[in-house]
Amino acid sequence: MSLATATPTPSAPPPSPSIAERAPRRRLSPERIAATLTLGAIVVASVIALADSGISIPSMIESWGNAERFFARVGPITFPEPGELLYLTALTIGLVLCGTLLAAVISVPVAYLAASNTTPGPGWQAFGRFVTVLTRAIPDVVLAMVFVLMFSLGSLPGILAIGIHSVGMISKLFADAIEQIDEGPRRAIRAAGGSKLQEFTSGILPQVLPSWVATVLHRNDINLRGSVVLGYVGVVGLGHDMSFAFKSLNYSLGLGIAIVMFVLCVVMEIISSVVRQAMLGGAPSGRGLGDRVVRGVQNARRRADVSGTRSATAGAEPAGSRDASSPVGRSSTSGSAQLEAALRRPWDAVRIRNTVWGWIALAVVVGSVLVCNIQWGDLITFWAKVPAIAVQFWPPSFGNYDAATMFGAMLQTIGIALAATLLAFVVSVFVGSLAARNVAPNAAVRTSMRLLLVVIRGIPEVILAIVLIVITGLGSQAGTLALAFGGIGLLGKLIADSFEEVKSGPERALRATGASRGQVYASATLPQGMRALIGHSFYLLDTNIRAATILGIVGGGGIGYYLLNAGQGSNYAVVTAIVLMILVTVLIVEGLAMWMRRVFR
Amino acid sequence: MSTPAGNEDPVVIEVSGLTKEFGRTVALQGASLTVARGEIVVLLGLSGSGKSTLLRHLDGLETPTAGSVRVLGQEVPRLTGRHLRALRSRMGFVFQQFDLVPSLTVLENVLTGALSELRGPRLGLWSYPRRLKLTALGHLDRVGLLDRAYQRADTLSGGQQQRVAIARALMQDPEILLADEPVASLDPESSEQVMSLIREIAMDAGLTVVCSLHQVDLALSWGDRIVGLRHGEVVLDTPAEGLSKAEVMEIYGRVATSTTELEAIEVELADAAADAAAETRLADGALRT
Repeated sequence: MSLATATPTPSAPPPSPSIAERAPRRRLSPERIAATLTLGAIVVASVIALADSGISIPSMIESWGNAERFFARVGPITFPEPGELLYLTALTIGLVLCGTLLAAVISVPVAYLAASNTTPGPGWQAFGRFVTVLTRAIPDVVLAMVFVLMFSLGSLPGILAIGIHSVGMISKLFADAIEQIDEGPRRAIRAAGGSKLQEFTSGILPQVLPSWVATVLHRNDINLRGSVVLGYVGVVGLGHDMSFAFKSLNYSLGLGIAIVMFVLCVVMEIISSVVRQAMLGGAPSGRGLGDRVVRGVQNARRRADVSGTRSATAGAEPAGSRDASSPVGRSSTSGSAQLEAALRRPWDAVRIRNTVWGWIALAVVVGSVLVCNIQWGDLITFWAKVPAIAVQFWPPSFGNYDAATMFGAMLQTIGIALAATLLAFVVSVFVGSLAARNVAPNAAVRTSMRLLLVVIRGIPEVILAIVLIVITGLGSQAGTLALAFGGIGLLGKLIADSFEEVKSGPERALRATGASRGQVYASATLPQGMRALIGHSFYLLDTNIRAATILGIVGGGGIGYYLLNAGQGSNYAVVTAIVLMILVTVLIVEGLAMWMRRVFR
Repeated sequence: MSTPAGNEDPVVIEVSGLTKEFGRTVALQGASLTVARGEIVVLLGLSGSGKSTLLRHLDGLETPTAGSVRVLGQEVPRLTGRHLRALRSRMGFVFQQFDLVPSLTVLENVLTGALSELRGPRLGLWSYPRRLKLTALGHLDRVGLLDRAYQRADTLSGGQQQRVAIARALMQDPEILLADEPVASLDPESSEQVMSLIREIAMDAGLTVVCSLHQVDLALSWGDRIVGLRHGEVVLDTPAEGLSKAEVMEIYGRVATSTTELEAIEVELADAAADAAAETRLADGALRT
């Protein structure tokens, strides 16, 4: 018995505008419309590119047959001689480390100029940012190609290529760290009469150092993966021997080196995680493979000495635990002998740990420089060759190729990147969502999805591409698949992390209204994570465009193939033209990404 | 002008007609202040009254919009580079947030106070001469923290950190000590320790002290002379001795354009007391659960 039916229907009220008319119109800014249309166009282009790439279930099944036949033909996988293998491994690591360190050294002044709180002026800041963007946009492979020409063979081309290209990312992150410092200590040093340089070394550097070290280690991992491709353009190391093995159809050796490289990448990630932990003094927060192993070891150790006595080190003591032990003001004038004694810093656990790590780091750096056997003389003599070689690079031209071929190849590269991003996006949203704690139906699903992402990230894309190319033959199909696969590892993790970071309030509110799990996901989780989703996807597209040019070098189709050809055929004007095309494309995508992130905020 | 004879000058700080505008907000409006050597002066005022801005002008951390700032016989706004750093090194500065470098050891934080007498950048204890390390340890002993010398600064409590900051200022062997709300971030007990430490050190070394505070009671019991600021203007300048809280309030009331300002002073005092009480309750609760 409801009240509504009981009340007599009132006579129609005077005609007032209906609620639909009175409601304010939803306002759309022209910029947002333009951005939405652009986004739509990119998605359509990606779908077309994916359709064109010839990836289909039947062809994948077919290539599975290829793979079986291929592995049957290759026979047992072989490795280089142990001594040779050891040397190559040391050389690869040393070279990558030297390059990354060079980049770190160059990045310090660049970051100082680019950071808004340290820059001497707007002009300097613009210059710093320009260096950051430019070095990031020129692929390290192109730099390596150029440097291989200028230096007699050796490790210098690789070191310089890695060193210059990495400045882009390292200086950007260095500058971000400087901008996030607490200004107080710096101001205190200024107030005490310290110079600008002293402000930096005593007030800023100690604050940013842990973050800087983490950045350098992170970049070092990336560079190690990238060093495989550098081998294809003549940089010494494991990559070079692998490319040589594949070119001479020695697949069993090539695959062997690929496996070594894969193991090396994983080991390196674990080591850098350990070092980061030692630097930051806390438990690693990342979810990388290395971080996981470290956490596991830590937990095991904690369980082991849970009965043991708690060793209270002076440095790790919580604040104020022994406060007010010494009365203030009752001028405790200790004798000078006591002060002399206090000069000797006690060897507590913290000091021992820092010293040991310091010496190990120094030994690794010195070892790297030694194993690289750098021909320092080249650094002087090469200036003489610069003019002669520089002339060959200018003016840019397409040489024997016609413009249509080149633009077609560039479009193919963009197509590979778009298709791979789309594929990765679709799978990542699924896998990444299920890997998020607040979306996954249970812990088992979440854990297995996280594990899947970790395993995918562990495989270097280039190695995957090379193996796929060997199996399916040259062409864009292998490149697209490799990029998509690698993209899932990256994007899936980013999506899972940002979905876990959304506010839980709206989700709880929807659940309280009786919404289903899927409804909560669609109406609370997804809208909150949308901005991050778009941002991360463009980041992936950005990365994939760069990676797609590189994959062409190992045979994955697109502009990279012509780049390698032009470089090996000494058509340097063509190299310049291709690099300019890549540069423009990368800058456009980066600009688009920045615009999208701003509009869809 | 800046001859050694200037040191004998009984007047060490001379501010006249100081005006500072940040965009459209006026932080200081024709403020004047004269401080003689060895005086212990409190700048009293609510937040936003211009105390910090005035202190920062004394150290050359801000440039005035108008007016003159003479410290130790030198016109501060005219100084740049080396000369400004030289003058700054003769003034210690203690900040509200302590402003220690969290990841450095206590001893190295104290040593950064001596940077102006060293040339070039320093990082790590080894880069400081032994003589300075001994001096720094002596200052740490003076503030009662010798046993913490090799701990990271961020492992110390707030009160301890402020004592380290005082030791850092002593490292400069200053003639003037400037303190900007040195105890605003501390609990009552640590505040007491820090304030009496500053006073004892100042008396021992004959330092001139200019310290900003917002608590009337503390200012009256601690300072020799009270300088009241309101809306960037000096509204009160009188010896602290014999002055009562009611009198201070009355003076503030007389210059206040409305009673609301006087109320604001009372409310702020009451709030501070209530906050402290609430924090204690919270801490107790946290312990119990």
